[in-house]
Amino acid sequence: MGSAHMNDRERLTVAFFYCRNIPESGETERQALEKEYGPSIRLFPIPCSGRLDPVHLLSALEKFADAAYLIACPEGACRYFEGNRRAGKRVERTKEMIAMIGLEPERLGMVINTKKRPKGLGVITAEILERVKSLAPSPVLKNSRVEEEKPL
Amino acid sequence: MITAEQKPLDEIREMIAPYKRILVLGCGSCVAECAAGGEKETGMLASILRMAAKMEGREVLINEKTLERQCVKDFVILLDDIIQDYDALLSLGCGAGVQAVGDCFPEIPIIPALNTEFLGETKDQGLWLENCLGCGDCKLYHFGGICPLARCSKHLLNGPCGGSVGGKCEINPEIPCAWQLIIDRVEQQGGFERLEGIFPPKDWSKKQGLGPRRIIREDQQR
Amino acid sequence: MSRFKSVLDQGAFAVTAECGPPKGADPDVIMKKAELLKGKVDAVNVTDNQTAVVRMSSLAACVLLKRQGLDPILQAVVRDRNRIALQSDILGASALGIRNILCLSGDHQSFGNQPQALGVFDLDSIQFVQVVQRMRDQGAILGGERLSRAPDVFIGAAANPFGDPFNFRLVRLAKKVAAGADFIQTQCIYNLERFERWMAMARERGLTEKVHILGGVTPLKSAGMAKYMKKKVAGMDVPDGIIRRMDGAPAKTQAEEGLKICVETIQRLREVRGVKGVHIMAIDWEDMVGELVERAGLLPRPN
Ligand code: SF4
Ligand code: SF4
Repeated sequence: MGSAHMNDRERLTVAFFYCRNIPESGETERQALEKEYGPSIRLFPIPCSGRLDPVHLLSALEKFADAAYLIACPEGACRYFEGNRRAGKRVERTKEMIAMIGLEPERLGMVINTKKRPKGLGVITAEILERVKSLAPSPVLKNSRVEEEKPL
Repeated sequence: MITAEQKPLDEIREMIAPYKRILVLGCGSCVAECAAGGEKETGMLASILRMAAKMEGREVLINEKTLERQCVKDFVILLDDIIQDYDALLSLGCGAGVQAVGDCFPEIPIIPALNTEFLGETKDQGLWLENCLGCGDCKLYHFGGICPLARCSKHLLNGPCGGSVGGKCEINPEIPCAWQLIIDRVEQQGGFERLEGIFPPKDWSKKQGLGPRRIIREDQQR
Repeated sequence: MSRFKSVLDQGAFAVTAECGPPKGADPDVIMKKAELLKGKVDAVNVTDNQTAVVRMSSLAACVLLKRQGLDPILQAVVRDRNRIALQSDILGASALGIRNILCLSGDHQSFGNQPQALGVFDLDSIQFVQVVQRMRDQGAILGGERLSRAPDVFIGAAANPFGDPFNFRLVRLAKKVAAGADFIQTQCIYNLERFERWMAMARERGLTEKVHILGGVTPLKSAGMAKYMKKKVAGMDVPDGIIRRMDGAPAKTQAEEGLKICVETIQRLREVRGVKGVHIMAIDWEDMVGELVERAGLLPRPN
């Protein structure tokens, strides 16, 4: 069991939805990150994280991701911080929903950037990847994954 | 509007378990306003159910669609072309919507995904209040525009009861005593003398006198 | 005729007590309570599924008490019966010789052991008083249909001088009197100042001329009970002075302290103009009623 786990870890795919105002999240940085991590990460810039509907997090989990995270700007840096607060609550509710079908709630989350000396996108994604690395591959994807692997 | 809340997922999953091809059907009217059965909620529910099925390794087709209104036949018939692909409908409409859709497609089992709650007001974002029972004989004028039938826990027309304390209802200190609200409002509008008379027993025949109610308006008919 | 009514008509200070029917079909419980209360009180209120807990019906228990020679007061709540059942019960009670009815809203079903029950609340307590009054005085039910024989009952209602809004409490009392209440039994009185203020307002409105007001009392068994009533029972006003007094007594003598407070309250109520009697609600403590009445100097009871 333990060793299978180890091998699986490298194959986790994490979806990141992030606000365009997050430092170092421009087009070049994004491409660099994608190159660095390969298929382990999928990056989705959005105009404002407060507007993100949890249905996007769910469809990421449903279609390709082992975990899906929303990255938002801190209070003060965002004119619509109220929206972020609500997004946080919606993410919480969505976590409860996936827990009800037996998925670990840690597969979803929202991270708010630090207020003092905000971190760049690369740092935040690395932190989140570290946080979720102990998760097993998603049981939602296990069947489809096997099929995908066959041609390889 | 009509308010509703989504049923527990377990209950929904139990009801849909026998079916293989399910259309998850949202409604874009009242239940969208109260964030229970609109397009977003329908998408989320369908997604969750698909994931659950995949985790169980079950082959189930689960698609979603949201109608502008489920309780009006003109909108429901838009399903005519696709309905034959499914063996069950999971409706996120209110109880009236579920039945209207069910009546249009009597051969297909229809499953409610929501618990329909009440006729309510969106008091604030994320807060809905029950404030009308649809009694068929509105007496709001006499009560300062605050309904004692819907908002007093004991439906008192001559309230308040002895348990009204500090403006809160004795049943639940989270909710205001309707009678305190009525008295304050009527007083604000010129003194509560008008509440000093004995209000007669409610005429419930307007609500249930001839069985389920119907409204017939010839000028509106085809 | 109601003995209770005749005591009030004579101008004597009336004493009523409360009797809760058992959670079972055993008539002996009622018989025992009857023995305890006989000769000590003028009438006995029989509660109607109080706090929404299922018990033997009030009407049945009233009949049992009556057989033992007591004058029962049938409590009837609008929570469980619609206007058809309520009116029918009034006729039945009168036919069985029950001469006093106390018309109440009743505790909400959510408080009891059947929280899933449908609350009826077809009439409210004021409308109920009015319905009974018309049945008796006009010989007609709601809607005007005539009765072959009118019920013969003395009609009561409850009042809570400690509920809010205070300025409307008197309006509500006046409405009960206008509806036809002959007597009023109040919520338990611990805050005498507020009660006296309420009585003064009742006198000002001329209500004490029109209705017999009985002050409600409940002896406190312990400091814990006093605190519970203050915190948990909506519309119950237990001043800090009372709590301090109960707290100050050693645990062993707290019950005695509670009785003392109750006796003092009764004595003070006798001095309040317009108060025509006392209603003793000794919760699970019916065996103390006799002693309480005696210590308050209210024995023997008039015939
Ligand atoms: S009286 Fe109350 S329940 Fe009846 S229609 Fe008016 S608001 Fe609705
Ligand atoms: S406290 Fe107010 S709202 Fe609640 S039952 Fe009593 S009168 Fe009605």
